[in-house]
Amino acid sequence: MVTLATSRGYRIFQAVNAVILTGVVVVTLYPFVNIVARSFSEESYIASGQVNLIPRGFNLTTYQIVASDPMFWTNYRNTVVYTVVATLISIVLTTCYAYVLSKKHLRGRKTLVAIALFTMFFSGGLIPNYVLVTSLGLKDSIWAIVLPNAINVFNLLVMKAFFEGLPVELEEAAAIDGLSTYGILLRIVLPLSKAVIATMVLFYAVSYWNSWFAAFLYMNESELFPVTVYLRNLIAGATTSENAGAVAGDLTQAAANIQSVTIVLTLIPILVVYPFVQRFFVSGVMLGAVKG
Amino acid sequence: MSTAKTSTPPSEDRAERGSTRRRRPRGGWRAALRRDWQLYSLAVLPLLFFVIFRYVPMIGNVIAFRRFEPGGSVLGEAWVGLRYVRMFLSDPTFWTVFTNTLVLGALTLLFCFPLPIVLALLLNEIRNRKLKRFVQSVSYLPHFLSIVIVAGVTMQLLALDGPVNQILRTMGNETIIFLQQPDWFRTIYVSSEMWQTVGWGTILYLAALTTIDDQLYEAARIDGAGRWRQTLHVTLPGILPTVVTLLILNIGTFLAVGFEKVLLLYNPLTYPTADVISTYLYRVGVVSGNFSYAAAIGLFEALIGLALVLSANVISRRTVGTSLW
Amino acid sequence: MYQVSRRQALLAIGAFTLTIAGCGSDEPEQGKDLSPNKDGAMAKYGVGDQFKATAPLTFSILYLNHPNYPLKKDWLFWSELNKRTGVTLTPTLVPLSDYEQKRSLVIGAGDAPLIIPKTYPGQEVPFVASGTILPVSDHLDLMPHFKDKVAKWNLQADVDTLRQSDGRFYLLPGLHEEIWLDYSLAVRTDILEKLGLEVPKTWEELYTVLKAMKAEYPDLYPFSDRWGIPTPGGNLLNIVGQAYGAPGGWGYLPARWDATAGKFAFTGAMDQYRQMLVYLNKLVKEKLLDPESFTQTDDAAKQKFVSGKTFVTGTNAQTLVNDYRPPMEKLNPDAKIAKIPVPTGPLGEVKYGNRLENGIMISKKALESKNFVAMMQFIDWLWYSDQGEEFAKWGVEGVTSTKDASGEFKLAPDVDFIGLNPEGKKHLQKDFGFSNGVFAYGGTTKLLESTFSEEELAFQAVMKTRKARPVEPPRPFSDEEREQASLWETPLKDYVTQMTLKFILGDRDLGEWDAYVKELEAKNMTSYMNLVNGAYERFKKEHG
Repeated sequence: MVTLATSRGYRIFQAVNAVILTGVVVVTLYPFVNIVARSFSEESYIASGQVNLIPRGFNLTTYQIVASDPMFWTNYRNTVVYTVVATLISIVLTTCYAYVLSKKHLRGRKTLVAIALFTMFFSGGLIPNYVLVTSLGLKDSIWAIVLPNAINVFNLLVMKAFFEGLPVELEEAAAIDGLSTYGILLRIVLPLSKAVIATMVLFYAVSYWNSWFAAFLYMNESELFPVTVYLRNLIAGATTSENAGAVAGDLTQAAANIQSVTIVLTLIPILVVYPFVQRFFVSGVMLGAVKG
Repeated sequence: MSTAKTSTPPSEDRAERGSTRRRRPRGGWRAALRRDWQLYSLAVLPLLFFVIFRYVPMIGNVIAFRRFEPGGSVLGEAWVGLRYVRMFLSDPTFWTVFTNTLVLGALTLLFCFPLPIVLALLLNEIRNRKLKRFVQSVSYLPHFLSIVIVAGVTMQLLALDGPVNQILRTMGNETIIFLQQPDWFRTIYVSSEMWQTVGWGTILYLAALTTIDDQLYEAARIDGAGRWRQTLHVTLPGILPTVVTLLILNIGTFLAVGFEKVLLLYNPLTYPTADVISTYLYRVGVVSGNFSYAAAIGLFEALIGLALVLSANVISRRTVGTSLW
Repeated sequence: MYQVSRRQALLAIGAFTLTIAGCGSDEPEQGKDLSPNKDGAMAKYGVGDQFKATAPLTFSILYLNHPNYPLKKDWLFWSELNKRTGVTLTPTLVPLSDYEQKRSLVIGAGDAPLIIPKTYPGQEVPFVASGTILPVSDHLDLMPHFKDKVAKWNLQADVDTLRQSDGRFYLLPGLHEEIWLDYSLAVRTDILEKLGLEVPKTWEELYTVLKAMKAEYPDLYPFSDRWGIPTPGGNLLNIVGQAYGAPGGWGYLPARWDATAGKFAFTGAMDQYRQMLVYLNKLVKEKLLDPESFTQTDDAAKQKFVSGKTFVTGTNAQTLVNDYRPPMEKLNPDAKIAKIPVPTGPLGEVKYGNRLENGIMISKKALESKNFVAMMQFIDWLWYSDQGEEFAKWGVEGVTSTKDASGEFKLAPDVDFIGLNPEGKKHLQKDFGFSNGVFAYGGTTKLLESTFSEEELAFQAVMKTRKARPVEPPRPFSDEEREQASLWETPLKDYVTQMTLKFILGDRDLGEWDAYVKELEAKNMTSYMNLVNGAYERFKKEHG
């Protein structure tokens, strides 16, 4: 990484690399620019397929419509709360269990791994899950969203692989210094694991941010919905097709660019938060310094 | 010590060394508990989670062998033995969709698994930090798009007067109605899957890259290794555990082909290649609410997934020395 | 007058109390004494009576929350409903996008509210076997307005199609006085004028019109249809198929009643179905119909139409006004479009359709409630009495609307609804909660048409002159049969759809029709039809 490019071959590679990555950027970005452009455009231009990269008939009407609905903001706030609480719980539980699983000497470790792995393939159906959450009395509360999906086995195993990659010497030294297991985890392991924790925060937060199904199942009042349910309903209202005949009586067409507006509105927070998380991926972890 | 790590000793090995140096794991459960009670205590809450929210609902799977009536008992009404298993085993459509699922899953694994590694390595070679951040951020964006939008964009691109056909036309080729051709479906599905997942997939590898010790690169440079050989001998081994873990997990779950995306992209004309287990179940299920039938197929899928992940794990332990446990 | 005697009913364990409506009554299950369930109910409640609970009552309801008019607790609808009936509804809110899924989940988990509306005929069937849903046919005596409308509008045969194998039905359907058709084709009338063409009355005439358009604009496909997702050719195969006697698309049923043979025939193998394919194949072959019509997104079809790349496309009253006209006015002010009466075919001036709307399921738990009788009376009043239907649709006299001496409704000056009163600042649905799809549907033709535009009324006038096809006889499966049937039905339907498109698009030659029918047989068509006809015979014998 600190190496200076010297060889000619490497310079050529850098050039090719730049071209490839530019290609990736263009291919990826195009639909987004298009979506942003649509969100600011007038309906007639969208309907006739004339909006490409630049908004036509610039207006903010749909943004105003969405933003002027108090329910939108209530739901938006719910999403933030659910995401923060759920991510916190998930990170704590996943870290604890992954750390335990990473200790190769631990008796019963294989069983503990198997318990987690098994659930990746076998799960209860929708109805048993619903009955469970209902009988635990979690319905219409944040816990219905936060608890049933607290640990993602995929994330758990990734984290375990990370912990296993950490040098054992540090922990041993700490143990000799009289640190308890809790102390080692908190003071030695976690500081070394910033990158993986940042990754997990990102993974969990994004999945909670985008999730709608649990809320849809277990929430019966619109004041409790996250914004995803709100948006999903909005989009469905604008695109109901097969049942259109049946509901024609109560269907008044929503704005054509409502999809684009909603996408932009849900993407913004992630784009704002992301750079803070990204710091942890770019800066290398200075393992060498403590290891030598 | 650091040079020893370059060759990535099999993790089993390393762990053993670690534990022997510590305390010898001897004695029965009582000794283990006394020694590691703090570790075990960390596992209590997660275990409670698994038992309550994962294992208790699993009891519901008995409806694969009992007739379930919506609104009746959650555990079904009466034993019917292997009726539902026989039902799908003797259903010719099931085998078509099963094959399609296998093919589509294998293709997705083949194309979507290695690409993030390549992209992560390419990104790692950019030395301008701002540029690197920019490319990274952009490449994550597709992950956040709802599948409805991705399918919509795909259809737009492939329409008769869409850009792809316009290119074909200017090159003097016949236009193709891509979405109506069974031969094209797999290509379309895999490409759109690649577009959507590759950027996001790099995150884990980039995080893994940060854990590689800079001293290793230095040592390699002193040995006269060029950039390419550094990548081969330092970078790749450094992220190998992550790669293997992800590969095993992906192999285990590759029957779970993206249901929503297939549903949005396919149509009856492309059923011969596009129809997968989940979409078929959806059509059978929506008509009649055959929960028992679905549960039987679900168990079958799970068994295959479990068998796949176990064998992948064994193979990887024997060959690269990394495994899930 | 035919009354089921006590002994007869006791003999029949299923307690099928089938009678002919209008001259009899569906009696409640014998032995079920409803006197402990009468709290809050009116002692005397008949046709024309306003329901008013004798004590304040509360009923739970599964509520489909429409994004265009999300539920508000301060709607006039709720307070006025309470004032008139003494009933408070406690809604379980479900977003429209996934209503069906949640409904099947809460019923499946035994957690359903008492009133479960927005259920389309057929959707109640999976819940019948477990006994969680109330067989409403046992309790029609509590619903005078429902019975009155069924008798007055001669709807008994329609309602009979809802009967299950035990002879009872489990869904209270919405009732229309007449068949209401909305879907047809939008045509660019300015192009017709320019080329000196008449509005096509039959599908063959449409073919000539399209040919003339193609001659003038050889680079274009004159006809491109929407509504291809998720059902390919949903609208087009339905309306063309109706003209030939074998609807596909949205109207596809696996089996159709063949009156001459006296049994059901498999739709996808009927000669009428083949004729429809021949016609559509001709349009595609001569490049008159866009081959993408059957699978493209609505947006794509819309774009082609409003930007003048096609001249004919599918429409209903709403899409004509909302989807096509506004962008066209901007882009091409000279363009004129109209929704033409559905073209006819070999069957002549007929129409397919159903006078049953989506309706209400009632949880079996309701039967244990001491307010059961009051609840049935309440449902009867709100959903089936003229008063209730007018209230749900137009709201409160003098506040949201006015009704003149001839019975014509008019919105209050400050209230708007579907653009009828553009000056109005408040919205009938959003701000007051009326014309809500959960409560307002069905009813008299006059009420239905009270919100229609002149243009739409003209369309309806033409469609009204057409003769309705007779209702098909009921053929309910038993529980075991249904499990088997669905496993045959799905692959058969998939194959029919797939081959339908192949035949139309010319990927397969129509000369191979016989081979295709053989392939259907290999997919258990015959066994399936035996099941259907067996169920028909059995039901006729037991309940006919």
